[in-house]
Amino acid sequence: MADPGDIAIGIDLGTSYSCVSILENGQTTVIPNEWGERTHASVVSFLEDGTVLVGNSAKRNIITNADNTVYSAKRLIGRFYFSDEVKKAQAVMPYKIVEGENNSVRIQIRENIYSLPEISALVLKEMKSIVENYVGHEVKKAVVTVPAYFNDNQRQATKDAGRIAGLDVLRILNEPTAAALAYGFGKDITQKIAVYDLGGGTFDISVLEIGKDVFEVLSTAGDTYLGGDDFDDRIMTWLAEGFLKQHGIDLRLNKYCLQMLKEASERAKIDVGRDGVSKIQVEGICQDPAGKVMDLAATLSEAEFNKMVMDLVQRTFKVCDEALQSAKMTAQDLDAVILVGGPTRLPIIRTSVKHYFGRDVMAGIDPDEVVAMGAAIQASSLLDAKSDHYLLDVTPLTLRVGTVGGYTDKIIDKNTPIPIERSKSYTTNRDGQERVKIRVYQGESNKAEECEMLGEFEFSGFRIGYRGEVRIEVTFEIDTNGIVNVTAADVETGQKTSCTIRLSSGLTEDMIKTAQEKNARTQLARGEAAA
Amino acid sequence: MDEAFEIEARALAQVLEELDYFQILKIGQNASPGEIKAAYYRESRAYHPDRFSTLPAGEMKDTIGRIYKRINEAYVCLREDTKRVKYLADVLGPERQKKLRFVEASEQELKKEKEQEVGATPQGRKFFMAGLADMAAQRFASAERNFKMALTYEPSNPNFKAKRDEAGKLIKNDMSIR
Repeated sequence: MADPGDIAIGIDLGTSYSCVSILENGQTTVIPNEWGERTHASVVSFLEDGTVLVGNSAKRNIITNADNTVYSAKRLIGRFYFSDEVKKAQAVMPYKIVEGENNSVRIQIRENIYSLPEISALVLKEMKSIVENYVGHEVKKAVVTVPAYFNDNQRQATKDAGRIAGLDVLRILNEPTAAALAYGFGKDITQKIAVYDLGGGTFDISVLEIGKDVFEVLSTAGDTYLGGDDFDDRIMTWLAEGFLKQHGIDLRLNKYCLQMLKEASERAKIDVGRDGVSKIQVEGICQDPAGKVMDLAATLSEAEFNKMVMDLVQRTFKVCDEALQSAKMTAQDLDAVILVGGPTRLPIIRTSVKHYFGRDVMAGIDPDEVVAMGAAIQASSLLDAKSDHYLLDVTPLTLRVGTVGGYTDKIIDKNTPIPIERSKSYTTNRDGQERVKIRVYQGESNKAEECEMLGEFEFSGFRIGYRGEVRIEVTFEIDTNGIVNVTAADVETGQKTSCTIRLSSGLTEDMIKTAQEKNARTQLARGEAAA
Repeated sequence: MDEAFEIEARALAQVLEELDYFQILKIGQNASPGEIKAAYYRESRAYHPDRFSTLPAGEMKDTIGRIYKRINEAYVCLREDTKRVKYLADVLGPERQKKLRFVEASEQELKKEKEQEVGATPQGRKFFMAGLADMAAQRFASAERNFKMALTYEPSNPNFKAKRDEAGKLIKNDMSIR
């Protein structure tokens, strides 16, 4: 039984913004910070005095303290240093992205090196402290959400971030599932719904069947390289090209100008969505070769904006096609469509979604807060095993094992309900072989190079025999967090090696412990209310 | 957690390796898709790990986890018509004990099956699809011609042959006027 007063919080850890919520007397409450802000920029700014500023006030430092301010860390979490996403980030981010051990990604701030989970842990620390200020005591337990399409590496890294922040992570929950829970919780409905979740950096679509207390995810699909940031990028390119044509100066070549440009683009996107037009005006964006200070001025119409981003919007519907097909459904079979994520406020998204699904989208759901609310409901239910609802979620990607010649063998299909376990027997490839290497992948191709490698481990100690004679049984498990565990055993001797697949670039227990201490010592700076 | 449930879970775990998927979901072998889903929801309400989130790690928690993973495994197999039919034949057959846990055909085999269905060559596929459209529009003579054309590209495709024969039969029975 949980202590009275013991609470568990729900955290939506977003690419651009984060939000935190708790369940109070059966109602979800989004907790504001001391200035009444309900969503908080996922930005971490390392100040001169060693303190760390997180949230909307840190966002302003992207320009003034560019080298020491980290944003969009979620785009990098759980990725390899050699991945395209990291290369792309290096070109545009003002902060320093460096290579760590075993192809891992690290952020360098002055003399200090941080892993991505450590950065996210500072955002989580801020969320935790917002709730602690509100309820007046320490909180330790949380449900943290991730995009449904996150792979094992990204989930594991997010869980590590929670632990580093001193949180007991009760569950890594999929964002669209959380939104569906917030929508259907306590309503006693029987419906088939789609959750269209376009966030700052990722896109997810989940199709669910709600049968009173049961929330069954029928399918999920996504694109972890598509989000509102990409819409900003389009505006940015348009502004920069225009400026180049007019003045012969490429604003993108200077990281400082680039940040001003990025900020102006995000604002323009929001303005266009709300007012149908945006007057963009950035004074003193750069100097010409003669040292004259130059301004950026442009007007963006809705029609122009829609034209710029139409292909991005269309890309989301390709993903929707895939999800509906996996669920063996058509848009007509749905009873409701829920929009999640800030960019879904844009009229271009709302009209296109309405057109694609052939129905109005569900009104009265706050796309910025609904995920945190769902996480809070789940957190409260896990805290005391109340079990008044059940989430039957699925794994988003096919789990595979590497075999001879660069191929992979399918073990667990995408959209399989979790937790699940599958065993498969393999054998040695040559006489007298003493060790085997088990490589685990996630992805939809049978070629290893087209999949994401989760990790590898060696198994030895089995009976030594002729090629093909020894039988090794490998068991793959995906738990309720969507995290993969792998064990191997010699069928005859029962010799077993168990290991939670941990990416070689992931953090070791020792590293997590050190990071926890560092995180606990770090003082959160208090900024000021947004103007 | 009450004692009766604990006894039930233990008993179930003990015989888990003897049970087929129908027995795990506590349904008959001719259960409808609706009944399968209802059974899955019912068993999820009983064994979903979230119900036992406060249970300390240990033997009982592992037991429940093992049972629920098998419930999911059963549902994944039985909810799909083609898999269910194959599985039922498996467990009614002489190798029942070996086939209690469904093993999917490998991806290569599945790909081959799919290719046989609609054709492995672009031209074969094209004529086969045209033939299917003819069949739907009740133009049986034209359908037969298209299936025959498809067969010139893939002479051994059993699906093409079957459709050609079907069209041939329909031509003979066609008594419509126009």
